[in-house]
Amino acid sequence: AEWKYAHEEYEGDVQDVFAYAFKEYVEENSDHTVTVYRFGELGESDDIMEQTQNGILQFVNQSPGFTGSLIPEAQIFFIPYLLPTDEETVIEFFDESKAINEMFPELYAEQGLELLSMYPEGEMVITLDEQVSSPEELEGKKIRTMTNPLLAETYRAFGATPTPLPWGEVYGGLQTGTIDGQENPIFWIESGELYEVSPHLLYTGHGWFTTAMMANQDFYEGLSDEDKELVQDATDAAYDHTIEHIQGLAEESLEKIKEDSDEVTVTRLDEEQIEAFRERAPQVEDEFLEMTGEKGEELLEQFKADLEAVTED
Amino acid sequence: MSEDDSEKHYRSSLPGFLGTIDTVISRIESVMLAAGVLLMATNTMANVLSRFILGSSIYFSEEINRILIVLITFAGIGYAARHGRHIRMSAFYDMLPTGGRRALMIVITLFTSVIMFFLCYYSILYVIDLYGKGRVLPALSIPIFLIYLWVPIGFLVTGIQYLLTAIKNMRSRDVYLSTEIVDGYKDTEKEV
Amino acid sequence: MTTIIIGTMIGLLLLGFPMMIPLITAAAIGFYMTFNGFDNMGTLVQQMMAGIRPTSLIAVPMFILAADIMTRGQSASRLINMVMAFIGHIKGGLAVSTATSCTLFGAVSGSTQATVVAVGSALRPRLLKAGYSDPFTLALIINSSDIAFLIPPSIGMIIYGVVSGTSIGELFIAGIGPGLLILLLFSIYCVIYAIFAKVPTEPKSSWGERLSAIRQALWPLGFPVLIVGGIYGGIFSPTEAAAACVMYALILEFGVFRSLSAPDIYAIAKSTGLITAVVFILVAAGNGFSWIISFAQIPQAILEAVGVNQAGPTGVLIILSIAFFIACMFVDPIVVILVLTPIFTPAIEATGLDPVLVGILITLQVAIGSATPPFGCDIFTAIAIFKRPYMEVIRGTPPFVLLLVLAAALLITFPQIALFLRDLAYA
Ligand code: NA
Ligand code: NA
Repeated sequence: AEWKYAHEEYEGDVQDVFAYAFKEYVEENSDHTVTVYRFGELGESDDIMEQTQNGILQFVNQSPGFTGSLIPEAQIFFIPYLLPTDEETVIEFFDESKAINEMFPELYAEQGLELLSMYPEGEMVITLDEQVSSPEELEGKKIRTMTNPLLAETYRAFGATPTPLPWGEVYGGLQTGTIDGQENPIFWIESGELYEVSPHLLYTGHGWFTTAMMANQDFYEGLSDEDKELVQDATDAAYDHTIEHIQGLAEESLEKIKEDSDEVTVTRLDEEQIEAFRERAPQVEDEFLEMTGEKGEELLEQFKADLEAVTED
Repeated sequence: MSEDDSEKHYRSSLPGFLGTIDTVISRIESVMLAAGVLLMATNTMANVLSRFILGSSIYFSEEINRILIVLITFAGIGYAARHGRHIRMSAFYDMLPTGGRRALMIVITLFTSVIMFFLCYYSILYVIDLYGKGRVLPALSIPIFLIYLWVPIGFLVTGIQYLLTAIKNMRSRDVYLSTEIVDGYKDTEKEV
Repeated sequence: MTTIIIGTMIGLLLLGFPMMIPLITAAAIGFYMTFNGFDNMGTLVQQMMAGIRPTSLIAVPMFILAADIMTRGQSASRLINMVMAFIGHIKGGLAVSTATSCTLFGAVSGSTQATVVAVGSALRPRLLKAGYSDPFTLALIINSSDIAFLIPPSIGMIIYGVVSGTSIGELFIAGIGPGLLILLLFSIYCVIYAIFAKVPTEPKSSWGERLSAIRQALWPLGFPVLIVGGIYGGIFSPTEAAAACVMYALILEFGVFRSLSAPDIYAIAKSTGLITAVVFILVAAGNGFSWIISFAQIPQAILEAVGVNQAGPTGVLIILSIAFFIACMFVDPIVVILVLTPIFTPAIEATGLDPVLVGILITLQVAIGSATPPFGCDIFTAIAIFKRPYMEVIRGTPPFVLLLVLAAALLITFPQIALFLRDLAYA
């Protein structure tokens, strides 16, 4: 059969790498074909999600942050300092977390979706018009964020002024000063050349851009056992390939940025500096709990327990 | 009668009670159009002022505008149909003699009204589907199906307008672009 | 399927259906053929709604509203008077003033039609009285008004920016160079025409009159400053600049000039809302149409058939120019941008062309196509507004169209005409 798979990113980005690894595995190991649609081809994030729920698409990749309008609990990934800060522990977290591997599939199932994989794309890096290392210095800076209340709350907590702006206007906005900064994984900062106009990189360790790959549940349930296994194996293969891809990707992107521009500065906060930001996180947790109630609380507690488990050993 | 006048003094051509309802709908549409545009301007400007004076953007400002766009568009398509203001390429049509134009206009308006009813039906299904999914606007937490409630109504009103125009053309010797507007150069004015 | 969809659309367009209908019908047929029935038609509705979701679209009603306030008030006439005071007296001065006024008013208005109304209605009687022929006058007004489409703000650029994900701010500034180039070409032609047609010159204004005209126009001249300065000075996003223009127009016409009164605002807002709805339903229908052709991977098939993949950047620019030019001779520019942009997007991305340059070239083709006989929609606007017969309206257009084609050729050869200011502003 011909399967349709849509994601939210451009050619060569992490979700595209995942999608093509999945496609390759499926096509090599079966007679099925997979057609991949990139950002904008079939609409925005919410559109492709709805199309998957309605069975027009078989597979979709949507970042939980965007899933907020459908599954409010999924916005948990926007709470700062809930994931480990270093790459190795993050990967371990995604492999082992009970919240991710057991609780999330249930939430998605309620929406008619079979959650196949959750994976990290990269650490969120803030780019700014000047060097900053404390919330005090971030005071009053207009930071462009995606339109999401929880993300806005994070930047308010950090002292900044969250400012929504369409992606197409971000580069120009940074240049003219309509905004003073923005946040994105480093590979987007590199491919979007945002460092040219916003050269001061700040690693706060507050979050990872996380994404999720899923299938329409009726479609998945209707597959033969053999095809189900094929889908699972292809997903695992794509996951392994993608994790390998992102390791070193961050380093590579940063190297390219530094090579291209002399203006760029990199600020990595130390434990004490991070603490100043971390102290402000509870405000965002409260907002999250207010939005999600009991279910959210349960999920948040499990997240914290999972985090403790991976950071202890 | 100029277009502005025809809009100002719009009286439905439907008889009796139906006519009253139609006239009321027309008034509602025009109020929604004007109020929608003014609210949009106020909301967008308030967001700029808030950023400069209070140092923070109004985080639900975008979502308000998103609601207003739907409101203006779907109040407007019915209103535009009523006053013959939808954009069309009339070159071939203009070459025809009156009888041919009237026949073509009947086909155009009938087919257009069918498409509008078709969209009305599927937009009702779409709204129900959205209701079932429970999707909400992230900042305002308003269920999204609410902001699209006006969509099927807009298609329905537009479909009825085109149907009435078809009937009017069948019964008349002149060619009507809408129930009120007789075809002629002065009325094909189009602004974009 | 490609043939049926495209054929249906063109057929219904030419027969004179309201332009949303060809798009929706073609899309519905595409859905029916792709999914063997109407089951997934909800997605057509979803994508129509998605089409009017981008908040950048808010700039469209805001710029229309601002222009409408200024046209009904005094801002437009004050700008025209200032231009006349300075260049009215030179050989062909009245014609050059018309072109210049269109350009200047274009800097406050996003639409060609608003410019035809504001400048054309005011200057046409004077041009005729001065001895310019009617076909020349009509062609001059139609084509000069198209400059307004290139000078920021521009509704065409906003729609292109939204559909292609290109920065509207960058498009705006890149339009200024080509806009001024066209003004220059037109002005040269006007002077030559006036010499050959032996049009008498107008009396020269005194410096006193000029100073007074400048003083009168000072307030309206704030608009370009607000838009260009606001966006590139980092004060506004393009959408916010549009809202700021509305506020400024309200303050001027209601507060400073006192040319309008409170009840006028209701009529103006309603008229703006109506024009907005008529445009946005097309944007909605266009997005529904582009979803199904994208799902069926039709753009890739068409581009392959046309041989775009072997064409290289300049080849793509030329193919694209011809496609937009021809399409705009028949169909409303907004519809052309909505339908053709998604088809060409894969080719634009593959060749690595600057999307801003592409956007400017498209805007220029839109301007040319819509002024070109037989069916360019500007011609019908002029027929409607000035109540002149078709033949008289088109007789004077060929020289202007040739000059516009020359401008397009220059732009393809020297992209810096458009990109110079952009690179300067964003360097
Ligand atoms: Na303009
Ligand atoms: Na689209």
